[in-house]
Amino acid sequence: MALIELRDINKTYNNGQPLHVLKGINLNIEKGEFVSIMGASGSGKSTLLNILGILDNYDTGTYTLNGTLMKDLSERQAADYRNRMIGFIFQSFNLISFKTAVENVELPLYYQGVPRKERHAKAMEYLEKLGLTQWASHFPNEMSGGQKQRVAIARALITQPQIILADEPTGALDSKTSVEVMQLLKQLNQEEKITIIVVTHESGVANETDKIIHIKDGIIGQIEENTRHDAWGGPMMK
Amino acid sequence: MRIEIIHEIASSLRNNKLRTALTGFAVSWGIFLLIALLGAGNGLMNSFLGNMADFISQSISVEGWRTSKPYKGFKENRNIQLDQKDVDYTMGDDWKGIIENVTTTTSSTSVTLSLGGHTVNGWMSGVVPEYREQNKVRMAAGRFIDPTDLQERKKVIVISRHQAKELMPDNPEGIVGTWISAGSISFRVVGVYHTDESEFRRAVNIPYTTYKGIYDSSDKIESITFNVNGPKTLEDHKAFEEEYVGALKRMHDIAPDDNRGLWVMNGYTSNLEMTKAQNILRIALWILGLLTLVSGIVGVSNIMLITVKERTHEFGIRKAIGAKPGAILRLIIAESVAITAVFGYIGMFLGMIACQVMDKTVGQNSVNIGMEEIRMLVNPTVGLDVALEATLLLIIAGTLAGAIPAWKAARVKPIEALRAE
Repeated sequence: MALIELRDINKTYNNGQPLHVLKGINLNIEKGEFVSIMGASGSGKSTLLNILGILDNYDTGTYTLNGTLMKDLSERQAADYRNRMIGFIFQSFNLISFKTAVENVELPLYYQGVPRKERHAKAMEYLEKLGLTQWASHFPNEMSGGQKQRVAIARALITQPQIILADEPTGALDSKTSVEVMQLLKQLNQEEKITIIVVTHESGVANETDKIIHIKDGIIGQIEENTRHDAWGGPMMK
Repeated sequence: MRIEIIHEIASSLRNNKLRTALTGFAVSWGIFLLIALLGAGNGLMNSFLGNMADFISQSISVEGWRTSKPYKGFKENRNIQLDQKDVDYTMGDDWKGIIENVTTTTSSTSVTLSLGGHTVNGWMSGVVPEYREQNKVRMAAGRFIDPTDLQERKKVIVISRHQAKELMPDNPEGIVGTWISAGSISFRVVGVYHTDESEFRRAVNIPYTTYKGIYDSSDKIESITFNVNGPKTLEDHKAFEEEYVGALKRMHDIAPDDNRGLWVMNGYTSNLEMTKAQNILRIALWILGLLTLVSGIVGVSNIMLITVKERTHEFGIRKAIGAKPGAILRLIIAESVAITAVFGYIGMFLGMIACQVMDKTVGQNSVNIGMEEIRMLVNPTVGLDVALEATLLLIIAGTLAGAIPAWKAARVKPIEALRAE
């Protein structure tokens, strides 16, 4: 059974005029895959990502994550699933500005009720993994974009989620840093066998992943196996 | 989780200093004004009403006066003279168990007091020792008429401080023990009482029996004074007074609606009415204070609303990474309570200091209200219980003020919250 199973997902927004955004999405993503969802703006890719991340609900169809049906969840349940199964990486990092790097990384564990000392130790461990030990007590506005995104990645990883959802993870970064972040995600996928789904409109970013799912006008078009990229880039993590 | 939320609040407040300071100021200011206002109000009440209580005794006095209406063939402007019949009626079976401690004073005579070359006028009457307590006579020197004086018909006299000063300008209190003349008869001064500037300042007292022996062997009586036992409320006391005085009016053929035939001084009703006035003043102060507090509460809820609005994005992040709605709700309410509690306490503390400052400055100023010098404010403070209650009220209000925006924030969907900027 696939890690993620989407069966005939439909989603319509009703803001004055009904807007049918997702028109019957069928998709399987296996454990350990590194895929990208690519499409132009308005194609429905962000809506799809929000549904995958249980940030938004859908109208009809079924979404099964690791064998659990994600439908008609209460806010409490949704929050709990997000916390334990999903790690988010956002385009604008979404770090809490008045918390230090390590405090930001700790936060998902806070909502799990992990004791302070334990979660601090764990957060430091993840920061070290991402080469950010000396930035632990710095605030987000004291860090570069790449550093911020790495803090966000540490925060996404700390709960050891089933999947990582990355929404335009390189959208706010320069090209050099973008490459570094993508290499990092690739490495996490290869070495830690974490399932990663990247949403992007840039083909350069999509090309770094193993599988490119094209979405257009709310339906899935071509699914492209991508093996070319293995030629470039090497491990960046220690 | 308890400790955790404190850390969360502490970091959030520390990193939003301006907002914290503004909210805190609104809270502190509200409590400060409330306490300062109540303190000043209490001081004023203690000063005026407290001083007056010194002059009002818990007793009723009746004296004959002059009618203002013709009745039963009598013309108006008739002098009314109380006598033994009135005393017998007062002490009689009609009022058994209700009227107690009946005392009387003799009729009074105008006398000229003299010592050496000094003279002063006085209005002399014979009294019993209980007169002092019933009329709240305060001694400046010496003693009042005592039972032995009465028994032995001693020629002793109690004069006012005002008179003492006229007779012995250098050392008014030193007059105690001196023999002075009242008309052609000599009396030994045994006491000097405190003068207020009222009409009683000319009263001089000698023993009841002495007076009867020298000036007036008739059964005429100047005043009857007694305590009542039974009536409790203002209405009860008024009803009692009406019934008792009505009976005396019938005995002296005074028109029932003529209030000038008898002069009645009812200490019970005066006291109750004063208490009533005091309560009204106190309620008015509380209303003012609560209105001040309301402005503090509005300040808190206003800032909480803005806070929640500007933190919507942050709450979105928290929700995306697993915060349940209840956790967001708790966070905001706990912050609100922490701010109001800490700053409410500061406001309370400063308010109490302000009360102390008032006590030491304005409170020491005196004003002359005719009878005597009184201090502007007496003990202008608020009890700790009241201060704590007010602070607690503000904390509860702060919680409610935070609860509505918090509830809204907790309900916002995470994607909507994340979109907010």
